[in-house]
Amino acid sequence: MWTDSSSFRGASPLMNRRQMLHKMCAGFGMLGLAGVLGPGSLLGASHLPHFAPKAKRLVFLFMNGGPSHIDTFDPKPALAKYAGQQPDGELYKKSKGTGYMPSPFAFAKHGGSGIEVSETLPNLAKMIDDCCIIRSMHTDVPNHEPALLQMHTGNLQPVRPSLGSWLLYGLGTINQNLPGYIVLRPSSKIVVGPALWSNSFLPAEYQAASVLTSDMSVDKLLANIHNPRQNEAQQREQLDLLNQLNRHHLAQRDGDPELEGQIRAMETAFHMQREAMETFDISREPASVREAYGDTPFARSCLLARRLLEGGVRVVSVYYTSADNQPWDTHADHNARHPKLCADGDRAAGALIADLKQRGLLEDTLVVWGGEFGRTPYAESKDEKKAGRDHHHTGFSMLLAGGGVRGGTVYGATDEFGMKATENPVHVHDLHATILHLLGLDHEKLTYRYAGRDFRLTDVFGKVVRDIIA
Amino acid sequence: MNLTHIASCLLTLCIVKAFAEDPAAQFEREVRPLLKQHCFECHGPDKQKGGLRLDQKEALLHGGDSEEPAILPGKSGASLLIKRTLSHDADDVMPPKGKRLEPAEIASLQTWIDAGAHWPASGNAELPGAPARGMTVTDHDRQFWAFQAPRTTDPVYEGTWPRQKLDYFVGARLREHGLEPTGETSRNAFIRRVTFDITGLPPTPDEVDHFLNDKSSNAHERVVERLLGSPQFGERMASMWLPLARFGEDQAHQVGDDTKFFYPNAHLYRAWVIDAFNRDLPYDQFLKLQLAADRIPGTAPADQAALGFLGLGPKYYNRNQLEVMADEWEDRVDTVTRTMLGLTVACARCHDHKFDPITTADYHALAGVFASTQMVNKTLGGLVEKENVKAEEMQPDTMHIVQEGEVQNLNVFIRGNVTRKGALIPRRFIEVLGGETSFADGSGRRELAEAIASRANPLTARVIVNRIWAQFFAQPLVSTPSNFGHSGALPSNRELLDDLAVRFMEHGWSIKSLVREIALSSTYRQGSGAPPVVTAADPSNEWLGRMNRRRLTVEQWRDAVLAVSGELADAPGAKSRDLDEATNRLRTVYARISRLKLNDILMQFDYPDANVHAEKRSVTTTPMQKLFVLNSPFIQRYAGTLAARLQGTAEMDTDRVTAAYLLLFSREPDVEERDLALRFLLKPNTAEMTQWERYAQLLLASNEMLYVD
Repeated sequence: MWTDSSSFRGASPLMNRRQMLHKMCAGFGMLGLAGVLGPGSLLGASHLPHFAPKAKRLVFLFMNGGPSHIDTFDPKPALAKYAGQQPDGELYKKSKGTGYMPSPFAFAKHGGSGIEVSETLPNLAKMIDDCCIIRSMHTDVPNHEPALLQMHTGNLQPVRPSLGSWLLYGLGTINQNLPGYIVLRPSSKIVVGPALWSNSFLPAEYQAASVLTSDMSVDKLLANIHNPRQNEAQQREQLDLLNQLNRHHLAQRDGDPELEGQIRAMETAFHMQREAMETFDISREPASVREAYGDTPFARSCLLARRLLEGGVRVVSVYYTSADNQPWDTHADHNARHPKLCADGDRAAGALIADLKQRGLLEDTLVVWGGEFGRTPYAESKDEKKAGRDHHHTGFSMLLAGGGVRGGTVYGATDEFGMKATENPVHVHDLHATILHLLGLDHEKLTYRYAGRDFRLTDVFGKVVRDIIA
Repeated sequence: MNLTHIASCLLTLCIVKAFAEDPAAQFEREVRPLLKQHCFECHGPDKQKGGLRLDQKEALLHGGDSEEPAILPGKSGASLLIKRTLSHDADDVMPPKGKRLEPAEIASLQTWIDAGAHWPASGNAELPGAPARGMTVTDHDRQFWAFQAPRTTDPVYEGTWPRQKLDYFVGARLREHGLEPTGETSRNAFIRRVTFDITGLPPTPDEVDHFLNDKSSNAHERVVERLLGSPQFGERMASMWLPLARFGEDQAHQVGDDTKFFYPNAHLYRAWVIDAFNRDLPYDQFLKLQLAADRIPGTAPADQAALGFLGLGPKYYNRNQLEVMADEWEDRVDTVTRTMLGLTVACARCHDHKFDPITTADYHALAGVFASTQMVNKTLGGLVEKENVKAEEMQPDTMHIVQEGEVQNLNVFIRGNVTRKGALIPRRFIEVLGGETSFADGSGRRELAEAIASRANPLTARVIVNRIWAQFFAQPLVSTPSNFGHSGALPSNRELLDDLAVRFMEHGWSIKSLVREIALSSTYRQGSGAPPVVTAADPSNEWLGRMNRRRLTVEQWRDAVLAVSGELADAPGAKSRDLDEATNRLRTVYARISRLKLNDILMQFDYPDANVHAEKRSVTTTPMQKLFVLNSPFIQRYAGTLAARLQGTAEMDTDRVTAAYLLLFSREPDVEERDLALRFLLKPNTAEMTQWERYAQLLLASNEMLYVD
């Protein structure tokens, strides 16, 4: 078969190994290949990283719409003092509201590290010694579409491969009986849409499996995961005949390894049904665990995420969406809406981190919590009672936990009003470079040759934030 | 590249002349070699990390993206260049990665800056920060095989094996390696192969029977003629062409529920493509109409739909801003050049091409053509819809095409940045392909079309011949079909490719003639099971001493399932329908192609992303594909109809099994296959599916269903 040899022109030993793989297997997908050779074989399922990884898995808890940094992780007492004053300096859009708007939420020091966290996030606050808060994030544009694309793919315009697809390309899957990259979202409505988890020009084996979690029954979660008109034993009987016929066909074709690969993929799929049925079934969790996460669409997705990570899924993204496709986009009535969102987002995220830790998974699972940007420290409208906060891209916060991150630390800072990242600014490209680094990949070496040039997640940018690495 | 050459030549000169120790000499003796050794790799003609280049004085004075000057003549202490070389921050120090300069080297730089940072005038031929001028196309560049005109040759092969001229090339190549071709495949295998390759469908049992019993000497010719004359030929060819044209019916993202950038009538372009292949529209005309149907006098109104090639291009978020439009123009340049010329010209948007003699000026000369062209929704009658009309409100005969816009030349956007303007570049064709004269006819699309679809163009015919070849051998002659440049692959048999390309043009650019020669060749008629000596000597089958076994594309496989179940609907010119619609019985080429969310079946079975030109398909084998084949509503539905169809063919199961094999695999079952089937069918069945449904499903799921020998 005619293979995609041009894709693997990187210079690292990793690439040479891949090139060899591709030559040997002539067109097999890695996942299929893993099926062919089986675990523990010479090649195995996963690829070698560039260097020793701190984390093996990534879970990205994405707060669609952009949570306010100054009401979560970046306390700004000066806002109270200057409340009502109009912001000065260069603004993306002229302020038309009532000026600086202090957070109505109290901040307190937590954990041994004494990091200040808003009262709206009591559960994440409990885990703060395992977390690193980056307070100096910035992105290029304060509009949802480009900012979402930048956070997910590094590029403002569609369509480029997503962070998850790059990771899968670089590292391969851990468990070939499950997809390597799974996207969980409670509602089908999501701004931008599938371009956020696209494999784009990366081969199809690095694509995400997108799962709607509005209905948690397993056969609703996963398409085609079981046959409604045959049970397992009946299907086995059917597959036994298929196998015999395929083997007969194969024997007349000199054992063509590609045909062999198809046979193995069929067997893997058969076994995947049972494994996925179990892994995707959160009703198997004890009531106490389910209680800890909460019983909301986001909470159930977080619990499912833990089961998937435990089952060997490399990358899981959980989106915080609802009937409102970007709930955190609190342009109006911010002070009332924000704590409600936190109550849900905080409880599940805090439970997930605690749960991973208790199971010994946190040390090699990187958890990221945040949105596409932050929100303005000043009010968006003249209506003081229903005041909201607008999009804000020049300074916002991101939480990272586990996976080789230095816990109990704060990195970077915004100015006294939370307007602009001033100390150790971290661009989205830097965040990507750091995430790849934690997973053992050099963002400058993880390239894919397409349309005549070598593409990277970080384009020509990105700097690993070494100070947050344990 | 050339700049480095100039620099090294100058250096040689300087050493020979042995300058006295004046600033110029100090620069040449110490500073330039030092910069060249440590800096130019990343900050020179090829790369400008951080936007900085250190091989031009102006650039040094201007600085990189930070716009802080790299040097302040006379003030080494305040110069960034010195600060960075002295830095103790591992992330900050230059050169990076521990390749720190020696103190003496830093001292040389300090001396040079303090003495006024002398830079010889001859070393400053470049415009500041305008890498576009870094490269000129040389005769040496033109010597590259792909830029040379293809030539026809007459290879010698003694023997009776060849049936077509192309066979002489293949036979001769095999003999060079001491090999002979593999014997002819069976008639059963041939008709299955050639029918899938030409129409994308399996042959019917009647067609197989007719061919097996046709004792005339031209039985193969008759099959190929019948297939070339069938309307399914155009559908099959469109499946090859549409992904090249990044055919899509919406946009990668949507703001709210806004559909104004969607293409509800994209099917008009697809129908035009199918029809063009069916009427064997000469390929040069085929290209010209897609680029400039509105600019070619005498073009039939129905041919305006051809402009969908450009008009269905992606429209990006915040369009009408210059930087966004620049991205859209890049899409047009990329799609046109990779599809039609097999060149990756879009690489040269930000810098001269790293591998090919394609300059940033070439890029902007082409981008100017598209900057002078407007995307437009226009009815057959010529009525232009307003830009904000929603998809649902467009006239039913609205085509999504292009028309002339305000004619403009572009300034080079330095490093792709639209706010940094370099030289103004007149619209013209690519220099290395003869693009000397500026375009003068409106946007220049017609002139561009003529330059591409020209016998003088060394690439156009080769590129399409290579794509057609790949369709019949599951392996192209140039393994990078959209990149014939230096970073692409060399042809595995250049003489063969060239001869086919020349004769393709001589035969009036007829795709059908090319297909006829290929399908009737002895090379194509070989078996896929070669003797071990052949596979060992040529594991990747570069010399074509056997046929490649190949997996069906998603279009072919789904269409075959529908066809063998007796369910395939016949609907030429059809509107698109979603593949997930249970009652969608149209061929897969009529599936709705979304840029926003590609259908799951298409995505899982390797249909490429519709946002960009797809050079070729990846071929992946995943358990997710198999879950679809095991459990999906689609497979259950057609297992049911196939079972019913088979049961209707005869009374006896043994005859029904024979019917199944003829229908699905174009052959009769052997004894073992028949026995296995009959034993399975007699087993007591406890499942909700009938035993015949279970059997029909496993046949649809089999490898023989998925592969062609």
